[in-house]
Amino acid sequence: MATYDGIFEALGLEDWCGSSASSAPMSMSDLVAQSSGDGGGEQQVSLWDTPFPSLDALNDACAAMPQSRDVTKGLEQGFLSIKDSLKVVLDPVTQPLSWMLDGALYGMLATPWWIVIPALLLVVWLVSRSAALVTFVGVSLAGLAFIDQYDYAMQTLSIIFVCAFLCVLIGVPIGILMSRSDSMRRMTTPVLDMLQTLPPFVYLIPLIFLFSVTESKLFGIAIILYAIVPVIRLTDLGIRLVDKDVIEAADAFGMSQRQKLFGVQIPLALPTIMAGVNQTIMMSLAMVVIASLVSAPGLGVLVLRGIRNLELGVGLVAGLGIVLLAVILDRVTKAALQRINSVQQH
Amino acid sequence: MTEQKSPETRVALKHLYKIFGDDPEGAMEHVTQGLSKPELLDQHNHVLGLSDINIDIPDGKITVIMGLSGSGKSTLIRHLNLLIRPTAGTVEVDGENILDFGESRLRTLRQETMSMVFQKFALLPHRTVLENAAMPLAVRGFAKDDRQAEANKWLDRVGLQGQANQHPNQLSGGMQQRVGLARALTSNAPIMLMDEAFSALDPLIRTDMQNLLLELQEELHKTVVFITHDLDEALKLADKLVILKDGFIVQQGEPQKILMKPADAYVEEFITDINRARVLRVRSVMRRDADLEGVDDAVDAEATLEDVIAQSRGDSSACFKVVQDDRVVGRLDMTDLVRALVPAIPTAEEDAPRPAA
Ligand SMILES: Nc1ncnc2c1ncn2[C@@H]1O[C@H](COP(=O)(O)OP(=O)(O)O)[C@@H](O)[C@H]1O
Ligand SMILES: [Mg+2]
Repeated sequence: MATYDGIFEALGLEDWCGSSASSAPMSMSDLVAQSSGDGGGEQQVSLWDTPFPSLDALNDACAAMPQSRDVTKGLEQGFLSIKDSLKVVLDPVTQPLSWMLDGALYGMLATPWWIVIPALLLVVWLVSRSAALVTFVGVSLAGLAFIDQYDYAMQTLSIIFVCAFLCVLIGVPIGILMSRSDSMRRMTTPVLDMLQTLPPFVYLIPLIFLFSVTESKLFGIAIILYAIVPVIRLTDLGIRLVDKDVIEAADAFGMSQRQKLFGVQIPLALPTIMAGVNQTIMMSLAMVVIASLVSAPGLGVLVLRGIRNLELGVGLVAGLGIVLLAVILDRVTKAALQRINSVQQH
Repeated sequence: MTEQKSPETRVALKHLYKIFGDDPEGAMEHVTQGLSKPELLDQHNHVLGLSDINIDIPDGKITVIMGLSGSGKSTLIRHLNLLIRPTAGTVEVDGENILDFGESRLRTLRQETMSMVFQKFALLPHRTVLENAAMPLAVRGFAKDDRQAEANKWLDRVGLQGQANQHPNQLSGGMQQRVGLARALTSNAPIMLMDEAFSALDPLIRTDMQNLLLELQEELHKTVVFITHDLDEALKLADKLVILKDGFIVQQGEPQKILMKPADAYVEEFITDINRARVLRVRSVMRRDADLEGVDDAVDAEATLEDVIAQSRGDSSACFKVVQDDRVVGRLDMTDLVRALVPAIPTAEEDAPRPAA
């Protein structure tokens, strides 16, 4: 009756398959076929219409075969059954992330604007030493505040600060390890490739099951996973690209591994590492907008509202705010990078 | 080869082999069975970098290792501080085989006994000239004031007064190599390794640097190992000359002896183009124990033939008594001098071979 009956007969597996109608739930196409009246009837399937021997098609021929929905069910069951033990480990490890994010969000908003904005401008001055840039950032922030986007913008910024900081804190040591050992590099590279190619929506799914949507670490982890890749890659690359002659000189004068790392390799790789930090910050910004889907506060929430409620104006204004933040973050990190470069062009 | 007799050996390389490739030990067996460098490359895809190197590096002298590009000079000098480890053989420093040293002992050796100057300077671009020069002492944990005082002293000595706060990229090549030299001197190591240290410099600056090195050496008496591919530079600096070709030693000994008696056609070819009058010294050409009757004019044993020609005012029949440390040690006839100016014609009396020490 089904296309692949013949195969199971040829293999002599009819007994294993069970004699008659399957007890498994019917697939959607079966239901459609049945309801349109011609189901069950003896039917010649032309070669042209032969279905791919998928699990569902094979299940039609042999009831003992699993259906595709069993696979998704199985995955879900499997995930749910390890979830609890996974949580025992992951929860305490990631709890500080929640604290940091909540603390940053609270601190940034609880502090009055006339302290926060000058403090931000001071930071910009310290890393860039450029009056023009400070002016630009000041005007942009004032503009955002003027159209009442201040709170949202600060939420977005504080999430980025925390996540980018953690990316550097975790990513730079991983990059250093990769640059030192080829086997570490071979192991890490596929993971990085995966993180970089997976659309962020995809790894939001397991995270939602693992952590509750009310916890801020959920979006924190999503952002860090997404944004950490460039800082790792460029730290590794930067250290590997350090002039071999200089490394040789460090060895010839008897530097220890540690002296070489902190006195030569990291300082000389710093421009490349900073380029990675720049990318990491920009990717954090991109992800913090997407992460509003899983309750990350900030400008992304407004964008989401614009989409959901078709509030064009709200969405556009929030979008403008995001663009402004992006330009600010990019300019400031690039200015810092330039300052490092000008000290040591080689 | 000619054995150096008096000065003590500071570093001795014994039966040193270096093979580059995936399985150097395996390839080493083929080499001991007598495979040559091209055969090893063709049949086993390994590069024979150094082959049976034996050198005694004398204390307090400049030993120059010369060879064409790719002859293994850089590989050889990196064996002295084990930046490259040999496939076979030993490296003895002050009588101890440093291949047996552990990591920390080797680091101490590199910090305190050996310093190095590089062809491409290899300065730290993010540090000032002063910090670069003070680096060897910083590595050893000296206090900032102490190491900077020492670094300043040597920066002044190599002619870099007032440049201490510049960054290396603000200096010319010649100045950068002075920093490299100051850095090596600041470490106060008795052995100084120089890998084509002056090759990247313009000719005039190179001459300056050579003179600076000789000047410093007069005062400091370091054990210098100097790599070059330039014969003029080699002859100017060398107390002992080692000629390297395709990873093996063609000839080694005192430069004057190599000039007077090249070991084979390769060395002969090498030395044809030099200005022999400027390089050869009276002591290499004079006759010992010769009759000194009627000879009044004196020349110093260390004078070059060019000096003597100038002194003779072109008189080809002149002859001189040769003086060394206020003692008359021999006699020099202009005919012998002229003969010595042309390579490959044996001089009348071959420089009397002294009994091997
Ligand atoms: N790491 C290496 N791997 C393979 N071959 C090498 C390596 N280092 C040097 N060699 C080979 O050893 C020979 C000597 O090189 P080198 O010591 O750099 O010569 P030089 O300094 O006299 O120009 C060359 O043939 C070079 O190709
Ligand atoms: Mg070389």
